[in-house]
This record gives sequence, C-alpha cells and structure tokens, in this order.
Amino acid sequence: MKGRAHLLGVAVVALAIAAAPFVTGNGFYLKVLFLIGVNYLAAAGLNVLVGHTGQKSLGHAGLFAVGAYTTALLTTRLGWNPWLAFVAAGVMAGLFGVLIALPALRVKGPALAMVTIGFGIVVEKVVSEWQDVFAGQQGIYGVLSPSWGGRAFGDREWVWFVGVLGLATHLMIRSLLRGKYGRAFMAVNTAEVAAESVGIGVYRSKVLAFVISAVTCGLAGALIAQQNQYISSDFITFNLSIFFLLIVLFGGSSVYGPLLGAIVLTLLDAFLARWPHVQHFTYGALLLFALYAMPNGLAGWIAGLSRRLFPALAKPAAVPPPDGAWRLRGAEILAAERPLLAARGLFKAYGGVVPTNNVDMELKTGHIHSLIGPNGAGKTTLLNILSGIVPPDRGSIEFNGTDIVGLAPNRIARLGLGRTFQNLKLFADMTVLDNVQVGLHRQMATGFLSALLGLPAAARAERHAAAEAAQILDFLGLGDKAHERAGSLPYGLQRRVELARALATHPRLLLLDEPAAGLNPQETRELVDVIAKIRDLGITVLLIEHHMDLVMAISDHVIVLDYGEKIAEGRPAEIQRDPRVIAAYLGADDPDPDAGDTRAPDAHIASATTHG
Amino acid sequence: MSAFSNPKSVAVALAVSLCGLVSAVHAQDIKIGYNADQSASGTAELGTAGRWAFEAAIEDLNKAGGILGRKVVGIIRDDLGAPPKSIQIMNELIDNEKVDAVVGSANSGNALAWLHIPQQKKVPVMVSIATATEITRRYAKEPQNYLFRVSMVDREQVALLVAYAVKASKGQKIAILADSTGYGQGGARDATEVLALHNVKPVLVEKYGPKDTDMTSQLTKIREAGADTVIIYGIADGSGHVLRSMEKIDYLPTTLGTWGNLSSLLPRIAGSKLAEHLILAASTTEDSNAKAKALGERVRKNFPTLTTFACSAQTYDSVMLLAAAMKLANSTDGEKVAAALEQVSGVQGVIKTYDKPFSKTDHEGLGVADFYLARWKGSSVVRYQDAITRSITPADLKR
Amino acid sequence: MVAILQAVFSGLALGGIYALVALGFNITHSTTKTLNFGQGELLAAGTVIAVSGVMLLAGKGMHGTLDPQDVTLWRYAVSLLISVVVLGLLGVLLYYTAVRPFIGLGGLSWVMSTLGFGIIIQNTALAIWGPSAMVIPSPLGDNVIRIGGAGVLPQEILVVAASVVVMLCLDTVMRKTKIGKAVRAVAHNKNAATLMGINVPAVVVLAFAISSSLAGLAGLLIAPITTASVFMGLSIALKAFSAAIVGGLNNARGCMLGGFLLGLVESMVGLWHAELREISIFMLIILVLVLKPEGLLGTRVAEKV
Repeated sequence: MKGRAHLLGVAVVALAIAAAPFVTGNGFYLKVLFLIGVNYLAAAGLNVLVGHTGQKSLGHAGLFAVGAYTTALLTTRLGWNPWLAFVAAGVMAGLFGVLIALPALRVKGPALAMVTIGFGIVVEKVVSEWQDVFAGQQGIYGVLSPSWGGRAFGDREWVWFVGVLGLATHLMIRSLLRGKYGRAFMAVNTAEVAAESVGIGVYRSKVLAFVISAVTCGLAGALIAQQNQYISSDFITFNLSIFFLLIVLFGGSSVYGPLLGAIVLTLLDAFLARWPHVQHFTYGALLLFALYAMPNGLAGWIAGLSRRLFPALAKPAAVPPPDGAWRLRGAEILAAERPLLAARGLFKAYGGVVPTNNVDMELKTGHIHSLIGPNGAGKTTLLNILSGIVPPDRGSIEFNGTDIVGLAPNRIARLGLGRTFQNLKLFADMTVLDNVQVGLHRQMATGFLSALLGLPAAARAERHAAAEAAQILDFLGLGDKAHERAGSLPYGLQRRVELARALATHPRLLLLDEPAAGLNPQETRELVDVIAKIRDLGITVLLIEHHMDLVMAISDHVIVLDYGEKIAEGRPAEIQRDPRVIAAYLGADDPDPDAGDTRAPDAHIASATTHG
Repeated sequence: MSAFSNPKSVAVALAVSLCGLVSAVHAQDIKIGYNADQSASGTAELGTAGRWAFEAAIEDLNKAGGILGRKVVGIIRDDLGAPPKSIQIMNELIDNEKVDAVVGSANSGNALAWLHIPQQKKVPVMVSIATATEITRRYAKEPQNYLFRVSMVDREQVALLVAYAVKASKGQKIAILADSTGYGQGGARDATEVLALHNVKPVLVEKYGPKDTDMTSQLTKIREAGADTVIIYGIADGSGHVLRSMEKIDYLPTTLGTWGNLSSLLPRIAGSKLAEHLILAASTTEDSNAKAKALGERVRKNFPTLTTFACSAQTYDSVMLLAAAMKLANSTDGEKVAAALEQVSGVQGVIKTYDKPFSKTDHEGLGVADFYLARWKGSSVVRYQDAITRSITPADLKR
Repeated sequence: MVAILQAVFSGLALGGIYALVALGFNITHSTTKTLNFGQGELLAAGTVIAVSGVMLLAGKGMHGTLDPQDVTLWRYAVSLLISVVVLGLLGVLLYYTAVRPFIGLGGLSWVMSTLGFGIIIQNTALAIWGPSAMVIPSPLGDNVIRIGGAGVLPQEILVVAASVVVMLCLDTVMRKTKIGKAVRAVAHNKNAATLMGINVPAVVVLAFAISSSLAGLAGLLIAPITTASVFMGLSIALKAFSAAIVGGLNNARGCMLGGFLLGLVESMVGLWHAELREISIFMLIILVLVLKPEGLLGTRVAEKV
C-alpha cells in the first residue's frame, strides 16, 4: 500500500517535471525550479550525514567547490567531455568526502563542527588565493555544459536533467535508508558503542555517510558551474554551508525533508530577493524558531499532522506471524575441546587506579559463567576489555581460536561475541523490530550497491531479516511489541529488547552486564528461564550480576573480582563458602554510599579515542 | 507520508501562481533594472551611492516626460555581494520583469558571473561601478556586444598611474601591492601588463586580504626589494591600512592608488596627514561642477553617509545614456538600443557631456582622458599637480 | 629581525582579542555545553553601539565622523561600559530565546538557533547603522611607538594590556570568589550544585551575559585598529572558536593560550606568505584536533558505558 502510494507520487513528480517547461516558458521560473533541484540534491545527501548519522558538518560548501571546480577545470583546461566531467565531479567530491571524514572520525561535538568549518575555509581560501589554477574571484569562464543530440542544454533541458538526477537520488537514498545501511546510520547516530557491539563498523558507516553527502554536494556544485558556465571563489562561502544545513534541518530528517526544505527555502530566496532585509530576517527567524516549533522539521511536522488527521494512514503494516522457531547460525566452534575464551594476564590501569589486575579467565563452551564482586571491583571494565571497547594495557585474549586483543569491537562482535550494557544502550527512537534488525546487520549479505539501487536481492534480504527479527522477538516473548518505539517501553522490556538485539548477532558468547538491574522479582524469575533458554540454543553466557540468588541458580561457574583482581572462582556452592569472597562482600557493606562511586572507574572509559 | 511525496508539483503550481502576482506593472512602461550590492559587504556603499542616483535619474527622466512618451520604471534589486544571488537577480530582471536594460553591479566578480546572460538574451547593460577590464572585453568580438560601461576602467586608470610611476621612480623600482579580491588581482595584472609596455618589470608584486589591517610584512618585503614607488590596487579601507603600516615600519615611498580611494574612509582610517601622501586617480568629485553638487545633495538626502560620489555620478550618467539611446533607436528593443548606444552623442551627464562615448570596438564611456591625478587635502579631494604630472604626454598613457 | 618583532607585536594584539572571545566560549560551554555560534554578530553589534556611543558623547550624532580629538579616554570608557552592559543583556536574551529551549535536545538545534539569533542581530544592526565601515580613532592617539626598531600603535599595547588584565581578573574571580566557585560548581556537576544551594539558572544566565560582554569588549578594543562594521565579527569569532578548540574548550587557561597562539601563528605566517594565513591556521587546527581531540590543555570527558 505504502509502496504503491510512493510510486504514484514519484510518477506524478516525474510528470510534473517533464511538463513544467511546457507550462511556463518564463526562464526565471525554470531557473528557480533548477535551483530547487540543485539544493535538493545537496541536501538529500547531507541529510544522510546530518539527519541520519548525526554528524554535524558546517563545511559542505567545500565539497560543493570540489565538484564545481572539477568540472570547470576539466572542461576548460583539459577539454574533457562535459558529461564525463560531471561524473568526475561526483567522484572527486567523494574522494574529498573521505578526506574530510578522516579527522572527523576522531572528534565529536563542537570540535567536529570546527574541523568541518576548517575544511570549508581551507577550500574557500585555496580557490580564492591559488589564482594560477583556480582564478580566484575572477573566476573560470566558459565551463561547458552537457549537450543532448548536439545541442547544449537550455533552461528546459536543465530542469529535466536536474529532475532526473533528483528523482534518481530520491529513489536511491530512500532505498538505502530503508535497509540495513539506513539502520546502521541511525544506530551510529544514537549509540556508537552499541552499534559496534552488533558488528557495525562505526568508522566505516561515518565515512560512508560523509562520502554520500560529498558526492551529492559535489554534483550540485558541478550543476551550478555547468549551468552557469562560470564559477568563482565568491560562490564558496561559509553561508553556503549554513544554507545547506538549514535546508536539512528545516525540512526534517525524513527522506522528504530535504525536498520540502529545498522547495520552501529556494522559493523564499528567489521571491524575497526584492526585500533583502525581510529575507535575512526570515532566515534568522527560521533558524531560531523553526526547530522550536517543529523539532523534527517541516516533514516531521506534516507527518505528525497527517497522523493526527488520518490515523488510519499511520498504522504500520502487520508483521507476519513467525513461521517456525528461531535457530542459531552462530560462527563455527573451531576447537570444541579448548575453552571458548581464554584470557591471560589482563591488566588495565587508569593512573593509579587498577580496575583489572592480571586477570586470567577461561570460559567453557555451553556454560553459564557469572562475574561477581563488590561495586568497583572492575567487572564492567573486564567486560569492556573482552568486547574490545577498552584496550588492555597487557595480556592476551583468545576467542574461539582467534587473538582478539587490539581488534575493533565490531570485528570482535563479528567473530561471535555479543553483549548487552549495564546502562541500556538501545536505539530508543527506532521500533523494537528495527532494533533487532540492526542486530541482524552482519547476517545480511546485501552489498552497498545492491541496497542503493534497491535490487531484488536487497528486498529479499530485507524480508528475510524482518521475518527472522520477528522470530527472535517471539523467542523472547516480545512478539506483540514489534512496532512500538523501543524508548517508550517499560524498563524491563527495554532490557529484553537489548537482549534480543544481541541475540540477533548470532553470538557464540554472550556477555550480559547486569541483565536483572531494575527488574521486578517477577521479571527476574523470567530472566532466569530466558538465560537458560539461551544456553540451550548453544550460546555460552558470561553475566555480571548482583542478584546472588539469580547467579547461584543458573551459573555453572562463578568468577569473583575485587579491586581488579580475581580472588576466587569455581562452582556456585564453593564460592558461597569461600572466606575471601565473604570478606570482600562484607567490606563492600561500606556505610559510605559514595565509596562505590569513587571506586568505579571501570564504568568510565575515555570517549575520545575509542568511539570518537 | 505518501500524501506529500509530490511537492515538486506544488512548487510548480506555486511558481505559476506567483507569476500572476509579479507582472502587474503596465506593459507600456519602460523598465530599467538596477542590480548591485546595497547591504551585504564593503561594496554596498558603492552600490547604495549608485542606487539613489539611479532613482534620481529616473525621476528626472519622468519629469521630462519619460522616454518615447512612456513612463520609466526602475526595478531595484540587492545582490548581497554574492555572485549566485546576482545571477539569480539578472535572470529575474530579464526573464521575469522583462526589463529593457540593466544598470549595475558594484562588484566586478558579480558582473563577471552573469555577463553571458544579458549577452545571450540581448539586453543592453550599463556597468556603472564595477571596474574589471574584462567586463566589456569578453564579448567584444561578438557581432554585438551588449555590455557598456561608465566607470573607471581598471586598464584606463592603470595607464595614468603607471605613466606617473615610471616617471617618478628613479631606476624604475616599482612595486605593486594589491588586495586579493578579483578587483585587486585584475588591477595588478593590468598594472603589470602596462608596465611591460613601458619596458618595466615590477620589482615585486604582493597582495593582502581585503579585511587585513596589518600589511607590514608585505611592505617590508617591498622595501627590501628596493622599491621607491608603490602602486596600491585596492579600495579605500585597504589603502588606508597600507598607509598606516607604511608609517609603522617608517617607509614612505611614492604611493599611488585607485579611484576607490575617493571614499572618505581613506582619510578617516589613515588620518588626514597620511592620506595626503597617496596620489590617486579620479574621475569626478562632488565639487567638479554645479550638476555634480546638486546630485550629491539629492543622494545625500537618502544616504547621508555617502562617501563615494563618483558611483552616484556614473550611475546617473549611465541611465541618461540609455535613455538617449532608446530615443535615438526610437525603440526599446535590446538589439536596436545596443546599436544606438554606439551612435549616441551630445548626452549631457554629470561627469561630462558624452560625445560619441561608445563605438563598435570601445564600450567604455570614460577613458584615461577623463581621469586626472588627485589627492586628499583635509576633507576633500583636490587635483594633484607637480613637475611629473605636467610632463605626462598622451604618448605616455600606454594601455 | 625587526620584522619578526613587528609580527610578534601585532600577533599579541590579535591574540588578545581572540583570547577574550575564546574565553567567552569557554564560560558558556563549561556551564551549559553550548556556545553561541552567532558570537561574531554580537561582537560587531557591541562595537558599533560603542562607536555610536562615542559619537553621541562627542556631540556628532549617529552618522558623524570621528576625529582623533573626539575620542577621549573617558568617552571611550563610558561607551565601552554601555556596550558591555547592552551586550550582557543581549546575552541574557540569547540564552532565553536561543539556548534554553534547546538544551539537552542534542543534535544541531542550539547551533542553528544561535546562528539564527546572530543573523537577526546583524540585520537589526544593518538596518540601524548600514553597511559602511565606521572609523574610530584610538583614544591614545596614533603616534607610532618604536620598540627595538619595530613600530607599535598605542592601541595595540592597550589591547594586550586590557585583555591580559581582564583575563587575570576573570581567572582570579573564578578561582577565589564565591560567584566564581558557583560557576565552576555548575560546570562540574549541575545536580550537585543545585543540591548545594547554588542558583543554577542564575549562574547560567550570568555565564551568557559575561560571554557576550567579553565579545563586546574585544570588539571595541580592536575597532581603532581595524575599523568597526556590522560585518567585522565573523572572522574574529571563527578564529576565537578555533583558538578555544585548539586550547581546550573546557579549560579557561587553554582558551587564553589558544588565543595568543593563534594570533602569533597568524602574524608569523603572514610574515612569510600573507595569503597563506587562513589556510595554514585551519590546517594546523585540523592537525591539532586529530592528534589531541580535546585540545592542548583540555581534559577528556569520560562517557559511561
């Protein structure tokens, strides 16, 4: 139903674009239509970066420049065919997208804004100062525009050309964002660590998003240079970067957002030109208040309105009931006789605090292991070391026959090590089903091109993933929550969703960080059953837990940490009698409630290096 | 969402409906567009000075019964100093407002960005402020060049400045210091070429950013290169800071500057004593004649901080030349008006009486013969004369 | 050699300006994790207000021209005070309209809203003052002072002296007084500060007022060297932002260091190739951020997993 409405819409737009030049012969209106198309193109890619992947960029004018100057130089200096030069502009901008992404991977927040501003300014200065090549403010004249049937493009052909490009971009980006890449971008946006934990390469996703935005922005630049037959350094300004960003934010992050934003802002720009002050104030007011009145942009506001007016339209498609129970296809166990995971001499220190002090551990395939210890004993740090989030200072970890020290968390996740988090790291704005499908990211073989072009293989993979996600939800008793927003569920269910997401990665080893925290007694009892069911699937479990009855009830093997050191391990019954364990726990009965906090560096990791 | 997947058609509908709104002016009126920065950058001052003179000219034309008995309407647009905006406005003026001629562009860069539009659509343009030499030359070889100008062309003022510099410098040690804008760099190129006609190579060509305030490092290099004469290519605020930096490093060579230094920003930034040091090329000042004085007062009524009167005078004269051409052609057809512009004669302007200012090959209304050297004295600009200026002959004005 | 000394002097003057504005970024960022991307426009508005103040005090009206004898030290000081107060109020307005509604919303909301606020301020100023540059002579005169062969303007000395004094005062206030401690407490932990009886909203408003005032102060200090106009702010604010990021946005002393560093780098590169200044500055910043994302004196912010 939805798909058909969309196709109809696309057809209507296509017809409108095809007919527009016949409806009006006014060159100015055609030029405005052309500009809407160009701005849409730039914004559509930028939306992938800003709206979906959550990376701020205030320097996209630089990428616009790369595209514009590539076509300008190639056609005027080297005599390239304009069509080829246009394609080259996209490629070149994509390469620069990688370039700007590299430093951007290391920094976040205001520093990221600074890096992108810096990039924009460096490009602006290079094209204005390096006059032998870029001709500065004088500009490059005589940029060739593509021709069709021997005739150079006129106003009408430009509208058609940009219309075709815009429609193609819309279809591709829509297809991309609805599939596994779109979910991966959103995952990176909401919780980078969690995205890594399900095998999504955060770096790769960010680079990809930067490249997509760079290519469309570069093509926009090429269009402007070719249509106008001229480009100069005055076109490349900080304000242009802001304008692109404004289109995206004003329009909203839905795939229709950039289109709405481009239409409204281009029309404002064109028809308020006679009152420049009004125009400036409008921009200012839009920037200041649009986000206030419409936090999700124009598209979000309209969508909300239509949901309220036509509730029937907003109803999600029903999930087909799962056919058959879920089955694990985990990575192959390489040497069944050896421990699944063996760590030797793990050591980690933050200044004088040593949350992990020469810890050895072995996890046996198919067992449930528990990691216990007083607050601040270093349990979470150990989990973070095993899952690759924190690199150990010393020591080795062998998981299923592979040395995993130094591997990125997403690589470790791909080897079959899944985890949940003490402080929930759900993708709160996505539905429960989508959360689980993010977990299935690595299980889907869909390639980037296939997803971009919406090939039948990609659609098939999507259907399979949805079906499997439904199975997993069913397995955990969440079948009826599939379409709820994950963040809106009660706390206990959110923990369950995170478990479902981790299971979806088809792990061999599952690390659970305080899975019962915040659960009521009834939920805790259910959890025991769930963990047992998980073990029965053939998944080895390591859990951190404070509920001793839970630990003692299901563990095959318990490891006790105190002050970063392993003080005991063995079967639950042995641990309960161990005098050192009892002493450690009595010591933890500290009257000062803050003591736990000051001793809990394990809960902190330096953010800048690991997932910046 | 699906209901909103076809907004592009909404845009077309919107654009079409707006079309009805805009074309409410009488078809009989003669429309002249004015396209220049009036608010967004340093050149806004020049554009605003021109804008009020543009309105004054149109008022005068209508008072005298219009052109060919038709009322003249001025359509004023602000290009915000940005080429993309300037292009868009040019499209709007020509395609949507259907103007008969355009006056304008304060920034050379903006003019260079849209030159092809009026040329292709056959609408005559009078460039009244921007000075880049290329503006009137790019289409000089076409059957009809639609770009005309009444302004201080870079090449023409350079001819005068270089003629003086070559005579003033001992041992031909001349340096060029230009701002990094299109204006400054175009001028620096012109200056280098004209110097070559005198068989002189500049000892050094340096540049500074249009917003820089400290040029001591460039000047130190120029001093080390042994220059005793410096040609500054930039507008008033830049030149003012150059003069201040010269004082800072205690280096005061013979210094020549452009028409842009007619702005009173120069003495205000550099102080009246330093400002006197600069010899500049000038076309007209408010006290040149009674007409100029009257125009200055009219513009000042709307724009009290007017500092660049030359822009007002040039814009006023541009409109008058267009009107004369339309009368001569007895038509507003772009092709005929452009051809008539090459024939008009005896047009009374503020700067001078234009006797056949344009020809097939020369679209510059003002030339080196209309320029003189001047300098600031207190709060006004006076003609500058010394033994060297008196010795300059027409043969020295190579260009 | 003289040339290098010359560059050091102008670099220090520029650096003082950057440091002041950067400090303003530090104050709001440490208390609210936001900063004003329209700071440049506020700076410009404050400057033209102050220049008009001097004109009015000298009896020249709003659109007069100032001669050196019109700018006496007391007129300059009074106008400075007026502009600092007006900007402080604008800072409060900024906080309530463009920052507070968006705190905690994440994403770009506050970046865009502060940019929007700046655009509105700029256009209001443009409507009042127009696009022309306004000249304000230095209250200390324009006689070049020679130090070791290099020429220095009295105003440049004033800029460095004033910015250093203001920064020292602010540093002392932050470390020694009750108000300063309250600000630092809010920066460290808002909830804890509330529990300790600190009026957190008041401290945050104060932070924005101080931040804007610093921008206004910087603007009027630099105006006699550069001229004042409604467009003067963007490049200063961008470089001050760079300075803050390079020095460490969450460290006040880092911001000051970053400011002077950037000023010196800018004038030194100018000595070598004037047109490469911006390029090399921003390349340097990108490099610093890649090597030390938290800035030279900044500290890493821990994130809970």
